[in-house]
Amino acid sequence: MNRTWSVFSLLFVVLFAQSCKDDVPTPVPGKSFATVSFDARWDGTPFQMQQVYMDDFGNRIRSDKFMNYISFLKLVAEDGTEVLVKDFMLVDFSGTNSITAEVPAGKYTAIKFGVGVDRDYNKDQDPAQYPSSSPLSVAGSQGMFWVWNTGYIFAKFEGKADTTGTEGVELLSPIAIHAGDDFSYRTYTSPAFSVGIDGTNHVFAVHVNVDRIFSPEQGNDVNIAFDAITHGGTNPDLTNSFMDNFVAALTVEP
Amino acid sequence: MRYGWFAMIFLFVACRNVEQPHLTDSELLVRVPAGFPSLEYPADNVPTRLRVDLGRRLFYDSRLSEDETVNCGSCHVLSAAFTDGRTTSSGLHGIAGKRNAPTLVNLAWMKRLMMEGGVPTLETQALAPLHDSTEMSPSMMPILARLNGDAYLKELARAAYGRDSIDAFVLTRALACFQRTFMSGDGRYDRYLQGKKDQMNEKELRGKELFFSAKTQCSECHSGVFFTDMDYHNIGLEEVYADDGKARATHRDEDVGRFKTPTLRNIQLTAPYMHDGSMASLEEVIAFYNAGGRAHPNKDSRIHALALTPSEQADLMAFLTTLTDWNFVQNEDLLPLMR
Repeated sequence: MNRTWSVFSLLFVVLFAQSCKDDVPTPVPGKSFATVSFDARWDGTPFQMQQVYMDDFGNRIRSDKFMNYISFLKLVAEDGTEVLVKDFMLVDFSGTNSITAEVPAGKYTAIKFGVGVDRDYNKDQDPAQYPSSSPLSVAGSQGMFWVWNTGYIFAKFEGKADTTGTEGVELLSPIAIHAGDDFSYRTYTSPAFSVGIDGTNHVFAVHVNVDRIFSPEQGNDVNIAFDAITHGGTNPDLTNSFMDNFVAALTVEP
Repeated sequence: MRYGWFAMIFLFVACRNVEQPHLTDSELLVRVPAGFPSLEYPADNVPTRLRVDLGRRLFYDSRLSEDETVNCGSCHVLSAAFTDGRTTSSGLHGIAGKRNAPTLVNLAWMKRLMMEGGVPTLETQALAPLHDSTEMSPSMMPILARLNGDAYLKELARAAYGRDSIDAFVLTRALACFQRTFMSGDGRYDRYLQGKKDQMNEKELRGKELFFSAKTQCSECHSGVFFTDMDYHNIGLEEVYADDGKARATHRDEDVGRFKTPTLRNIQLTAPYMHDGSMASLEEVIAFYNAGGRAHPNKDSRIHALALTPSEQADLMAFLTTLTDWNFVQNEDLLPLMR
């Protein structure tokens, strides 16, 4: 009997170990890899959830949830060839976010991706069709999906604000920016750079400079004092402004 | 040794071969009411007895709600043609919903789901209440974890869909599979059309003539064997809509107040009426149409004062009762399945 249980135990361990295998390839000699990380910053320092920040309009804002989808993350090679790093990613700024992929050795000049979920994968899609490991699945989407009007939430910024800008005042005004719907999909291509990858794992850091989203310098006012709620097309002006500012607030450290 | 017995029982349960007979064409034909179009199924959800059976169990399983107090059958009661008799339904923690529970009949043929038509398939629609903090659960994930703790249900799911666990795919497919069996087309009106002329009396026949007449134009929108054109109309229910209807999905001003035409099958059993349950009786609904509705820029041009006499209104009411399918609402195959 003990022997039978030992066999079962061993089988369990083997199966469990197999299911938990890390998908990120381990860099090996002779192969080239690119890692792309995403983080959020405020005035050049890491943006923290639950921390209160003063924006350029004089509003004190706090984020409880900040997430966005990335579609078709690619590196652009010197000859213009585009190398896919990842088809879809859900970036949750409450934690670390990076993806590693093997790429051909060579020189790369730009990074590009869509902010949101590409049109062909957004409307009228069924998240239940994807395996739970996919960011587009019911589990993987982590609530970034509208069921009643099927489509993904491209970017979500939730929190509270004090629009008087007074230190010590409780933040009571809700912020619920849920940008989505095909019209709000944006694409981003980084400024040109020159990075050679040959037998190494090169890390590209993509920063979302949140302070620039809530700033008049972008030309699209996302002023929480006047407009803080949107669910895709319910407030298209705010949705568009937020997505435009989001893309304008991106910087890349190649 | 005690553990040995447990292990043997576990292996017996886990390894037994559950048969999965596909429903044959002849069985489907028995289910499809006379005069209805043929059925097409999604390639990944062809009905089998096990799939329907699994969906039936899940439909009435309160473990699908966060606090285990609500199941699909809470708001969709068979005896009321899968409505619940309430103005708007209550969901999780007794939270009041914003819409009247729609009847669930002939869903296999419906083109898009929800009153604004924002959902493309019955499979995807199943996600809506399961992923709604006011209906059943703010997230489906804890629900799936709970269901996977039921060894019997898990084995049934494996046999039905060949997957190792009850995941979102299995849950949505099984619920859709069961709901596609909600076929209703055996009212007295249907039997009358099949040649049984004694099924309708004079009053009902007068109502039928009115219903299909150019005077009322009821059948313009409540058309075909399903008594719905599956399109969206503003009937002038409100001058200012609290619920924007189709505009919720399209965000277009011209869609404000447009809602999907509801079927009239079993309409006698599905009070109260309108998307918000604001009309308590069919008599009230007919009186509303007779008056021509309220002014709204998007109101359908066919909605205008009808000048029906009280007798004509009563005739229309009588006709609508012939659309009640008593066999459907008493079909034991659609009631909760005991283990």
